Amino acid sequence: MGEHAATGLEKWLIDKTGKDIYFWNFQVLMFFTLFEVGAVFFEVIPGTDIRITRFMVWAILIVVGIIKGYGIAAYFMHLRGDPRIYTRTALFPVLFVLLMLWGIGLSNPEAITELPSWCTPDWDYATKR
Amino acid sequence: MMGGFNNHVDNSVWGRAVLMAGAILTIGVVAFAALGLGVGSVKHDTYYEAKDAYYAAMNDPTVSEEELDHLHHEEIDAHLSYLTYWVAGVTILAITTIYAIFLGIGGFINSIQPQEDHGHDDHGHDDHHDEHHGSASPIIFCLGVLLFLMGFPEFVEGMRALLAQGGTFAPGDMVLSTIGLTIIMIGVANWWREDLPFIGHGEQIATSAPFEGEHIRKAGLWVFIMSEVMVFATFFSSYLRIRTEWCTKWAFDEGKCSPGATEGEIVLTASDYLRPGGAAGTGDFWTMLPGAVNTFALIISSYTIVLALKTAKSKDWEAPKNALRYLLPDKKTAVRNYLIATLLLGSMFIVLKLVEWSHLVAEGFTVGTVQGSIFYVATGAHGLHVFVGLLVMLYLVFKADTIGYDEENGQGIEYFGLYWHFVDLAWVVIFPAFYLY
Repeated sequence: MGEHAATGLEKWLIDKTGKDIYFWNFQVLMFFTLFEVGAVFFEVIPGTDIRITRFMVWAILIVVGIIKGYGIAAYFMHLRGDPRIYTRTALFPVLFVLLMLWGIGLSNPEAITELPSWCTPDWDYATKR
Repeated sequence: MMGGFNNHVDNSVWGRAVLMAGAILTIGVVAFAALGLGVGSVKHDTYYEAKDAYYAAMNDPTVSEEELDHLHHEEIDAHLSYLTYWVAGVTILAITTIYAIFLGIGGFINSIQPQEDHGHDDHGHDDHHDEHHGSASPIIFCLGVLLFLMGFPEFVEGMRALLAQGGTFAPGDMVLSTIGLTIIMIGVANWWREDLPFIGHGEQIATSAPFEGEHIRKAGLWVFIMSEVMVFATFFSSYLRIRTEWCTKWAFDEGKCSPGATEGEIVLTASDYLRPGGAAGTGDFWTMLPGAVNTFALIISSYTIVLALKTAKSKDWEAPKNALRYLLPDKKTAVRNYLIATLLLGSMFIVLKLVEWSHLVAEGFTVGTVQGSIFYVATGAHGLHVFVGLLVMLYLVFKADTIGYDEENGQGIEYFGLYWHFVDLAWVVIFPAFYLY
């Protein structure tokens, strides 16, 4: 099952509460999902006049997504306790995903004028012609 | 037939699968009668009353614009309310029927097989099955899927005609897919027959790098998950690529659309219909609710399957002392009930998703647009993964109910759990990208 020996904060939580790491991972996932959904329910941050902009929603969704993704993969899928080969297998497609995202940039209508030059090496003829 | 170290399975145990199928179908019919026919017909009448009131007001010159608008909103609300119950009822009936067919036919095929003669040693071990041999079932299954997909376009046309949705029914349209489905069922039934007696002894171990010493089934599953990551990455990158060109409300407000773009050119995404404050003006707490509930449902189902695995693997499991002891009286029942909870949560996910889709289509967000197409394809592919997972889970429930899972054979739950967690993980990306942003 690949359950790893808890250390640090995990160990403290488990010892203090008597609940296992899966329980706490579940709590964290529920909390962040609530936070994620809450981010789009409000137009301003509750109790303030600060407007929740598109950039803030982006930032919240990406950060929460990373935290939730890590929680599911590391604890529920046991990657933290299993041999490293499984983590490497899980991360293998990331290279292709990054290439896809790069492709999105290159194929975007604004790619030539908007992307930094390192993204389009030696393709500056498009703007010089 | 019992668990532990005795792996002889009597054919009669498969009869229980047929009984379970009957019970599932009964639940589906009752739910359809209550939701679709019962509440649904009441809501249908309310909808038609609201519709008549609105149409009558349209022809009445004394009715103000404000009143007309109010009546129109009442008609829309009544229509969506009717759709909620009708679609929920029909979906429950459809998925329980498929569950029943899947479990019932699989069980029936195995129950009529010739009884195998098993030799037992003094300790109840079955020497014939101490090694887990390679299986032809995946190849049979894949052949069935191939034939089913080859005949799928004609199958859809045939089904449309059968459901009176247009076209003329020709029996030839159904042949290839039906043969495919039959072979799939034979492959699945054979797979179950091979797996049911498996008690964890003789799990095949990889003998070469990079997975040397690891269970081959687990390594294979991770490679499968890796390929699935690519499938979902394709949907996601397509969505991002198309979206960068759209003049969404957010892009419009920030001056990112092409110069001279007017509000009429704003592209409405699914989140504009669902999100409170979305550009379509239809979003509120209730439109967001199905997607939000589904997100929680998947996370909870991930936890319940972890609990099923943890219970199965536990050597010193004790029944809880609180009210849960009625649901989890002993280890075998606890594992089965955690799996049933996962099955119910996953089924709820499918029902809510189709209810949500019906509302979106009624609001005008159809598959005929680019933004509709990518939304329905991506979320539909995810829903299909959930549904396939539920079909596999039916078998896990059956095995948990008959042979049982313990610390020796619990890896069956673990490996399925990896797939189920991946489906949850995919939703972690899809939900914010398509529903919230």
